[in-house]
Amino acid sequence: MYFDSFDHTLWPYLFILLAGVLPTAVWRWIGVVLVGNISDDSEWLVLVRCVATALVAAVIAQLIFQPTGALATFPFEVRVGAAILGFIAFLCFGRRLFVAIVVAEVALLTGYALY
Amino acid sequence: MSQADASDTDSLYDWSWFARGMAQVFSLPALILISAFVGFGGLAREAGISLGQLIFMVPTVWALPSHLILVSGIAAGVPLLAIIPAVALAAVRMMPMTMALVPEIRVPGSKAWHLLLVSNMIAITAWMHTIQKAPEIPRPGRLPFFAGFAGIMMVATTVVSGLVHQLAATFPVPVMAALYFLTPIYFAASSWNTARVKAEHLALILGFALGPLLFIVVPQANILFAGIIGGFAAFAFHKIASRGKGS
Repeated sequence: MYFDSFDHTLWPYLFILLAGVLPTAVWRWIGVVLVGNISDDSEWLVLVRCVATALVAAVIAQLIFQPTGALATFPFEVRVGAAILGFIAFLCFGRRLFVAIVVAEVALLTGYALY
Repeated sequence: MSQADASDTDSLYDWSWFARGMAQVFSLPALILISAFVGFGGLAREAGISLGQLIFMVPTVWALPSHLILVSGIAAGVPLLAIIPAVALAAVRMMPMTMALVPEIRVPGSKAWHLLLVSNMIAITAWMHTIQKAPEIPRPGRLPFFAGFAGIMMVATTVVSGLVHQLAATFPVPVMAALYFLTPIYFAASSWNTARVKAEHLALILGFALGPLLFIVVPQANILFAGIIGGFAAFAFHKIASRGKGS
């Protein structure tokens, strides 16, 4: 079955529900059920946080290494270099989000202009 | 449940924090997430998604990677049964994210259905922002704070992506690229600051390095594998380090 398989106006919404909403939401529900009996100071939660953090880190890497849309037109070296510069500045200057953003964005656009 | 649910939840949670969560719509993380949905509104339009469908999918799917897979799948004419596993694979991270957030926001009397209901609002930005703010919020205020922030973000991103879709707004390439670039930088800096133990910093570094490396080996599931391998390795480090320090 495809997005345009049926003419009914509600079909695309059902398609979105089946293909997008449920496969995403089901993991949240499983998470709620699994964490139900784990106590708040359990060591298991350190493992869970480590896995969650590593997953988010892999998403971050994908957004920089294999971006979609406009960012994909920027050279690889510019994207990675700007991200590294921004993160180093963040670590050196009080771990402020604002510093990371400004340095990374300035580096990104400067790199783009120079290439 | 013997008492009315309404009075139950009123006494369990401090709902004054709901408004304070909503007020976070004027925060840097909110601005960054809204920027990401500027791009998504345009992408959805190009993919042939109608305004109504866009308005429906933004808050119900509520995870940008799932949105992107769904919309690009629709645009490419991918069948339903092929989109489902792709979206499910990209959304596995919702499970450990939920398991990490729930202990932060639940109170001793929290019912499973309260948590199931708010879990539908979990996505990286609201998750990260709430975990970061949680220590400053009294426990009964945390679930309302999360619901208020995630709720206003659902509304704001739906409105903004809908506007971009409707106006067919286009922006110069460098502007769009700069907007897209905000998201990974925010995620990286914020998860570094959110870490409670050193092992989470290690998990962040490992996940970042393993993601692209594993793409070469398992291109469909590199994020999942990077998360599991990186997360378990960081946890092993945590166990070894705490054993050395302990008795």
